Amino acid sequence: MTKSYPFEPEEAPPEYRGLPRINPLLCIGCGACTNVCPPNAVIRIDDCSSGTRRIVLDVGRCIRCARCEESCPTGAIRLTREFEAATDDRNDHVEVVEMKLAKCRNCGSFTDYTERQVHKVLSIIPPGILDFERIRDKLPLCSECKRSLTIINASRVGGEWR
Amino acid sequence: MKPRSLWVFHLNTGACNGCDIEILDVLTPYHDIERLGVKLVPTPRHAHALLVTGPLTRQAYYSARKAYSAMPSKPRIVIAIGTCACSGGIFYNSYAIRRESDRLSLEYPRKGGTSEFLPVDIYVPGCPPRPEEILYGIALLRGLVKKKMGGEHYTVKELVLPRSQFNAWVELLLRAKIRREIGYFDGYALLKDFMELVEKSNSPEELGKMVELMKKRIKDSRLRYGLEMLYKHYIGVVRMYESILAEKKVVLGVSK
Repeated sequence: MTKSYPFEPEEAPPEYRGLPRINPLLCIGCGACTNVCPPNAVIRIDDCSSGTRRIVLDVGRCIRCARCEESCPTGAIRLTREFEAATDDRNDHVEVVEMKLAKCRNCGSFTDYTERQVHKVLSIIPPGILDFERIRDKLPLCSECKRSLTIINASRVGGEWR
Repeated sequence: MKPRSLWVFHLNTGACNGCDIEILDVLTPYHDIERLGVKLVPTPRHAHALLVTGPLTRQAYYSARKAYSAMPSKPRIVIAIGTCACSGGIFYNSYAIRRESDRLSLEYPRKGGTSEFLPVDIYVPGCPPRPEEILYGIALLRGLVKKKMGGEHYTVKELVLPRSQFNAWVELLLRAKIRREIGYFDGYALLKDFMELVEKSNSPEELGKMVELMKKRIKDSRLRYGLEMLYKHYIGVVRMYESILAEKKVVLGVSK
């Protein structure tokens, strides 16, 4: 029997790898998906002057290999069962998630990770093992300040190693 | 002007043949694209539309240009089938591909593929697209269906944080383990169910009983194995946590 598809809705099978979607409530902007994406469909754009990071997903470049879903630490990016992506404008394929970069607490410039990443990291440390307050004081530091802090701590004679 | 029936010419500009087979599928009686008035013609001189597949190799560029100029000047529709034709796809960075835009830039929408050289009317992404997806694209061109995609720009401030700290840590460790045992697709779904059981139970023994009950419900032996391994790794993680805590207490006792 011939299908009457465009006139009747059709569901893809449950194992079907369809269009990827980002859940903006779960995405922390770590860029794990951008590192593994073979055709560079997901990219990470850092804007250090305004302090934002954009995770951009282009469905028109995606080959539905699901490497992003496999590597996402929070389960934010998922392959849905939708498949109707045809359009006459390429801008319809683009999905952007914008978030803020964390600010270095020493020099005030923007670091290379987001505020959400800091929240996430603090929320998965098992209780009782590490001293929370000490980590929270140290965390939003840019790479240069971190480096100089390490040297200062190491050169301190008789002081405590941090 | 909306086209009524399309005569299409199938043009392969260096595709891997996946999309071409899907186009053949669309012409079979099961999907039957001729319901929508589409007919495959052997020469671009008879065609209204080009069905372009492939990322446009250097060799194919000249013949693609010839085929495009050989079409009658009206309506001259170009339908890009597959991710490669839309934006270069997996071959976007290949040396064999003709591209004029920068290969490793961070622009969006991503450039590349046939769409850089021919004015494309309908983009049908997919690697390869399902036959239904091609049918949907043709129906969209004819105005039979509505467009479903639309660009999204999220600037959401709130963030959903995980359950309790300990469970979130355990979940992250188990995630890596179950991916190695039974793969991400079934593994992550199974892990979600397992973490619900963990939240319900109070002790590892109670969790063990619940896991046994759940195993009886699952018919797939592979999933049963995955559940068993999850429980085993969970016990391992809990023991490791307890031993770290005990060590820490000892060290603190000495220093005090």
